[in-house]
Amino acid sequence: MVTNTSTGGASTLGLGKPRRFDPNDKKYIPGLLITPVQILLCVMLIFPFILEFVISMTEWQPIYGDFWLAFTSVFTQKINQGINYNYLVTDEPRYLQALGRTVIMSVISLCLEFVIGLGLASLFLKKFWGKRIWFTALLTPMMIMPVVVGYTWFMLFQYNGPINQIFGWIAFSPVNLQWLNDGTLAFIAVIVTEVWHWTPLFFLIMLSGLNAVPENPIRAATVLGASNVKIFWTIILPNMRAVIIIAFVIRGMEVVKLFDEIYLLTRGGPGTATETISLYLYKLAFEDFRLAYAGSAAFIVLVITVVLINMMLKPIRYQLVEGR
Amino acid sequence: MPERKFTPFNFIALIAGLLFAVFPILWMVSTSFKLRSEWVTSPPTWISSAPTVDNYLTILAPHILLERRGGTQQVGDEDFGGSKDDAAGGAIADFLNRSAWPGIKGSIIISISATILSIVVGLMAAISISRYRFGGNFTPFFILAGRMFPPIAIAIPFVIMFGPKVFDITDTYIGLILAYAAVTVPFSTWMLKSFVDDLPHEIEEAAMMDGYSRWRAHFTVTVPLIKGGIIATTLFIFILNWSEFLFALILTYTNVQTIPVTLSKYFSATEGTLYGVQAALAMVSIVPLVTVGFFIQKHLVRGLTLGAIKR
Amino acid sequence: MANIKLELVNLRKEFGDLVAVDDVSIAIEESETMALLGPSGCGKSTILNMIVGLEAPTSGDILIDGKSVLNVPPGDRNIGLVFQDYAVFTHMTVRSNLAYGLKVRKMKQPEIDREIAKVSEFLSITHQLDRKPDELGASELQRVAIGRTLVTNPEILLLDEPLSNLEAAMRNQMRRELRRIQADTGQTIIYVTHDQIEALSLAHRIAVMDFGALQQYDTAHNVYQYPANRFVGSFLGNPPMNFLKGKLAEDGGRRVVTSGDSTIPLPAGNLGSDVSAGADVVVGVRPESLSLAAADDPGRFSVPVLAVEPQGPETVVTASFGDSSLKVIVPTGDPAVERDSIDLVPVSDLVALFDAESGVRLLDSGDRR
Repeated sequence: MVTNTSTGGASTLGLGKPRRFDPNDKKYIPGLLITPVQILLCVMLIFPFILEFVISMTEWQPIYGDFWLAFTSVFTQKINQGINYNYLVTDEPRYLQALGRTVIMSVISLCLEFVIGLGLASLFLKKFWGKRIWFTALLTPMMIMPVVVGYTWFMLFQYNGPINQIFGWIAFSPVNLQWLNDGTLAFIAVIVTEVWHWTPLFFLIMLSGLNAVPENPIRAATVLGASNVKIFWTIILPNMRAVIIIAFVIRGMEVVKLFDEIYLLTRGGPGTATETISLYLYKLAFEDFRLAYAGSAAFIVLVITVVLINMMLKPIRYQLVEGR
Repeated sequence: MPERKFTPFNFIALIAGLLFAVFPILWMVSTSFKLRSEWVTSPPTWISSAPTVDNYLTILAPHILLERRGGTQQVGDEDFGGSKDDAAGGAIADFLNRSAWPGIKGSIIISISATILSIVVGLMAAISISRYRFGGNFTPFFILAGRMFPPIAIAIPFVIMFGPKVFDITDTYIGLILAYAAVTVPFSTWMLKSFVDDLPHEIEEAAMMDGYSRWRAHFTVTVPLIKGGIIATTLFIFILNWSEFLFALILTYTNVQTIPVTLSKYFSATEGTLYGVQAALAMVSIVPLVTVGFFIQKHLVRGLTLGAIKR
Repeated sequence: MANIKLELVNLRKEFGDLVAVDDVSIAIEESETMALLGPSGCGKSTILNMIVGLEAPTSGDILIDGKSVLNVPPGDRNIGLVFQDYAVFTHMTVRSNLAYGLKVRKMKQPEIDREIAKVSEFLSITHQLDRKPDELGASELQRVAIGRTLVTNPEILLLDEPLSNLEAAMRNQMRRELRRIQADTGQTIIYVTHDQIEALSLAHRIAVMDFGALQQYDTAHNVYQYPANRFVGSFLGNPPMNFLKGKLAEDGGRRVVTSGDSTIPLPAGNLGSDVSAGADVVVGVRPESLSLAAADDPGRFSVPVLAVEPQGPETVVTASFGDSSLKVIVPTGDPAVERDSIDLVPVSDLVALFDAESGVRLLDSGDRR
């Protein structure tokens, strides 16, 4: 007790030893465990985030030569004072259109995925032959990588491809829709592709949600005389609220990033008919090489997504952290 | 739920759903076995009149195709993208260029390394968050943020970051491994966290009572007990890494290739779209995914919902 | 005799090879409380589900007021069902829960309000109308569940194990409450339970079930005092009925059952025709149906005492009767129990005789009510 006189605090606490780093100490363990992920994310996320902001304030393009040379000169001499941002918002309709298109495409896709997924999931509450096999078959699209999905539908949507032929059979006359060369049709084609790819996820989530709906309230409503439709709207859907929110948030996070499938399916074309924000940024940065300008556009997107998704996560935050 | 019968209408709906889900895959399978002359026809060819594995040989073993015709151009070579006027040497170069092995090699190296990195880092973070509530609400969502950004927005600064004056890792395995791990670590952390959450903490506490240090308790008790979860997460992260496209497209040139990029490049080959060859490569690339996906079928929903929905 | 409200005719339900309900026939009178009593898995819940229409019987019929309801959907049978777990709609307020059945019936809002006010007052949940179910305790949830059903004014009220999710103290209160509800509304009630005390205290009639088959359907008194077979005798009563193995014999014009040195006299009554002296039988007698005999009681019999356990005002004496053991409840402090053997006498005619193999009641005696 009296051996250590270095700090008054320590002796009043009765601590005889000076503090030393002990990796087994309970207070260091969580920090040590989390450090690797923090380093990885700081290097690969925070640093690029800052860098992006810096680029976006310059007028640098790869043809100006090495960024660091250009950067030091540009940065020390003049920052472009947000000119990129001004221009983006005021004079670049393509940017805002791409943003709007992404939102419309996302909303339509998610709604379709939700309805189809819920419908299929409710079928799987019943008993029928070969349920397990059909279940696995329905999940397959989700496991296929986006590039292959885009390519597969590229084949199917050819004007002399099978989709036109099937439509021809239904219409009893040859159908020659230019799926990938017509703006509206291409937009539909992208949505069909996206819905095909990710409906299985909604199906899975909805099935798990439906299975978690307690049976007795449904039976109680039946005995009280409610029809199946009434039970669906008043008992089943409200009980699935949390699950539905989770599905929309999780899929919403992914759908706004949509790139790979479109890259192979339409490349954003024809014109800009299917140009989502990701494709727009890609073209700006890697086809036109206007990196600084693309950086400012991307920076806005980053800020929007972080804010938006944080809002969306709010209702399920507790559930996610507590692990139910 | 009260007894509910499977009605004819249900049956039609199920069949429609199944056709919609399976038809594109079957079309791809069928195309991968088509002769070149059947790739683009009007009306389309549904099933090849003489199924061939040449599309697969083109990407996996082009030398067999060349040996078969004695290394020289012969009648019928137009089926494989050559023309009668080509010199033999040109044809050889042409075939070898289409081999998918560089892409397959790259995909395997990068996916496996990035998966291991992502799992190791994610597992540590998962224990920290689940067992010690490290960082309260902020840290888990900070980690999740990595998944929220459109990768293209992060890819723009990557081009400079990976460039010669900074890390100088453009077109290297290490560069892609880091990028892949960074975008999959939110998934691995959250999915593993949900498995650790499922494990009662009394188990580790019992081990600590027995004189195990905390580190030892975590790595000799916690980790083995969630082995199943770790395997499922590993396979799931592997699927994500194997499918990743954008970073490879932007951050590689010739040294490093991955299957998705190889696949997208056939698209713009000079002879037009090589439907059959592309379909064959697509098949080769999705076989591991569908196999792995089948094994972790019941964990897929947990992974994709970040552990929010467990079954 | 009141009207028959509900009648089950040879009701049968099979799940694959399993016979869940085996040709059960029961008639329930109007304004009567009937308890379906049996161990879990005996088919009570299946019968309940068939009555409300959640499951279809394999064969047999269900009649309400003499009309078959098999083709009537659950909502139109006018039967109320209260679930064991209450099945309250957790996402709705108490008020919406109560209104649900009325809204389904397309009742007008003012009328709904009136009905809700009435039923909530009756069940004293008026002050909880605007709460969500997760703010309520188990007994309040129970009231909500009962109220949600009562408000639709069902002809028959079915209660599935209504007290099993309550704590002991709450259970007694709710049992009183249920008796009050029945008395005030004159409702025909079917009450499913595995708890004999609940059945005995609440029901006019009890149907005892085991393995899907109806064992006995009679008044509560008769089911308890005159069990139709060994299962019914053993399922009701605590401490349980004594079962004494022995052989049927005649002793001076009286029927007796003997085993070893012990002999117990049987009451008068009609014996099954195919039973004769020397047959293997089992005597069933409840511990409280035996009392200490006066020295000169002609019906007395003597058994050796094995153990004496005083339990406050009463003492449980364990004696032996041949190979079987016999428990008797006697007032504490009686010096008679201090001896090696005691003299007992059956109270009136409450001694049952069962076939040793089938367990069926052999002796038709007693004062049935």
